[in-house]
Amino acid sequence: MSAESINEAGATPTTRGKTGWRRLVDVPVLFVAAGVSLVTGLLLVFWVAPEEATMGFPYKILYFHAPIAWCALLGYLVAFVAAILYLRSNDARWDRLGMCGVRLGLVFSLLVMATGMIWGRSSWNVWWSWEPRLTTFLIACLMYCGYFVLRATVEEEERRATFAALFAVIAFINVPITFLSTRVLPGDMQHPSGVVEGGGLVGWMYPAFFVSMVGMTLLFFALLRNDLRVERLKEELAYIKNRLGS
Amino acid sequence: MSVEDGVKYVAAAYAIILAVLVAYSVWSARRVSALEREARLLSTEVERRAKA
Repeated sequence: MSAESINEAGATPTTRGKTGWRRLVDVPVLFVAAGVSLVTGLLLVFWVAPEEATMGFPYKILYFHAPIAWCALLGYLVAFVAAILYLRSNDARWDRLGMCGVRLGLVFSLLVMATGMIWGRSSWNVWWSWEPRLTTFLIACLMYCGYFVLRATVEEEERRATFAALFAVIAFINVPITFLSTRVLPGDMQHPSGVVEGGGLVGWMYPAFFVSMVGMTLLFFALLRNDLRVERLKEELAYIKNRLGS
Repeated sequence: MSVEDGVKYVAAAYAIILAVLVAYSVWSARRVSALEREARLLSTEVERRAKA
């Protein structure tokens, strides 16, 4: 923690507390905006957007499945950028951001796998298919699980952060491969190559999809901000406990 | 596939999404509150000791 963020008595920006409107419009604004967008998206998906011609009602899973997949990849992108910044600056804030990015990426990845399996069962009649998009996504999930295994095995803080940053950079190689897998990799392509281009969207399906996308992205950033606050607080607590112990 | 089966799959998918995202949001918010409370208490203790 930076020295300037803690005063002589050990009080930190968080422990001093926020006052008035700053406390009111802090994280909840993002959560409220995300909630409003997601509820609007749901209303558009189920009451306004027409049914897709080929797949019918199960196609409605796609309106949230694709934004969740986007948020998973966004989490890994945040971790990649934070890792580069950490390796350049050695600033622990970037390490915390990277860890939160990977954690959220994994949560959204698990969701995308679960909803994808349900969609696959309804559309392809199988729970799982070893086709490029699903396989590369599974590999990404397993690699990023390894990120936390790595963090748990290194005790010294600076070494842990450096190794984690290097791992995040290497693991990110799989992210563009996952994103482009349906477009460039050969194989049995059951997964649609894209939603907007060639995904079967028409008319009111577009606003339903884009509102859901905006809502999910806002929720991602709200959760990221909250996670960062948790990590910062943990660090502040460790510092204060140190002071009390000494 | 029948319409009923389609509805079941869609309902299952959205139920999972809702459950996971709400659970994660609540867990994260509760953790922030708990840590803030603990940090405030400890910070007060540090200030008290510094004055003493």
